[in-house]
Amino acid sequence: MLSSSVIHQALKDQGVSHVVGLSDNICRMLFQSLEADDEMEVIPVSREGEAFAIAAGLHVGGQKPVVLIQNTGLLESGDAFRGCSWNMKIPQVMLIGYRGFKTLDLEKKDSVAEFTEPTMKAWRIPYKIMVEDEDVSMIERAFKLAESTSMPAAVLIAETTT
Amino acid sequence: MVLNKYTCLEKLAARRKDEVIITCMGTAKPWEKLSDTDLDFASVDSAMSHAADFALGIAIAKPERRVITLNGDGSMLMCLETFVTLAQRPCENYTMIIIENGTYEVTGNQKVPGVQLMNFEAMARGAGLEKVYSIESEAAFEDLLPKLFEEPGPMVCILKVAPGGEGVPKFEKTLAERTDRLRNALNS
Repeated sequence: MLSSSVIHQALKDQGVSHVVGLSDNICRMLFQSLEADDEMEVIPVSREGEAFAIAAGLHVGGQKPVVLIQNTGLLESGDAFRGCSWNMKIPQVMLIGYRGFKTLDLEKKDSVAEFTEPTMKAWRIPYKIMVEDEDVSMIERAFKLAESTSMPAAVLIAETTT
Repeated sequence: MVLNKYTCLEKLAARRKDEVIITCMGTAKPWEKLSDTDLDFASVDSAMSHAADFALGIAIAKPERRVITLNGDGSMLMCLETFVTLAQRPCENYTMIIIENGTYEVTGNQKVPGVQLMNFEAMARGAGLEKVYSIESEAAFEDLLPKLFEEPGPMVCILKVAPGGEGVPKFEKTLAERTDRLRNALNS
């Protein structure tokens, strides 16, 4: 089980100021939890590439945003990720809903799941896969990695948040 | 009647004080010749069409500082959702100037889709933005100039200019180095 409250608290512990992204079914409850937090601003976008550019501007302005999108949206965001997070050397932590993760062991797979990890490897995004609350330390580690390298890092959220 | 882009940029530069200026594509090199301070940032080698979004992030992060983005019509068409994001998350310190010349200038002036059919002012207003101005004469631009710097936004100004001849902009400093320069200027 993945509790939105556990992920939410992990983001607060890291001092996250803004959450930029687009909700999906996996992270729906997490979005709701974050939107109710007066200390963190949620900035919804209508296409995921926007999220990387807005978050880069927030970083340059001294804030600490996360990008929260689905893996489908990550695929859409290729050039925005490359041009902003990568080329600007932004320590951007992203949380990515891993649609189709459970189909990877099935005969009939969700193609977005099949594309997700190979794409992240090709784009040189270090990532961990979070499937239960006990994995929450992956978020802290992603922040440490991003900050130590001044480059992006990701946590894939593979279970629907509750 | 159409405007001359370079004359418009000169007028902007003459009035500019400590605003952040984010340029891209056809405005990046002409603006660099007019101003190259730590608060000038060319969104070149960056993400296609996202200079205005990057500028919005800065405006949200630094509400005390005016952020002006000089966007192109080709870039704007590639990311029309920016209008919606800006309307739902309005920033008083944000000014977007769209240089509309109807062409992809830096790749050889190919026509942008929908040229002479589309209407950026209608699209911006349709997204929920209120302070939207289409400018086609120098006199109108002169009248609007103070508002672009001083009036609470978000503001969108569409400058109808003649096609130019800018090539692909190149910079000695990498994008990461230019980003660091801006970051240091904003947070020192």
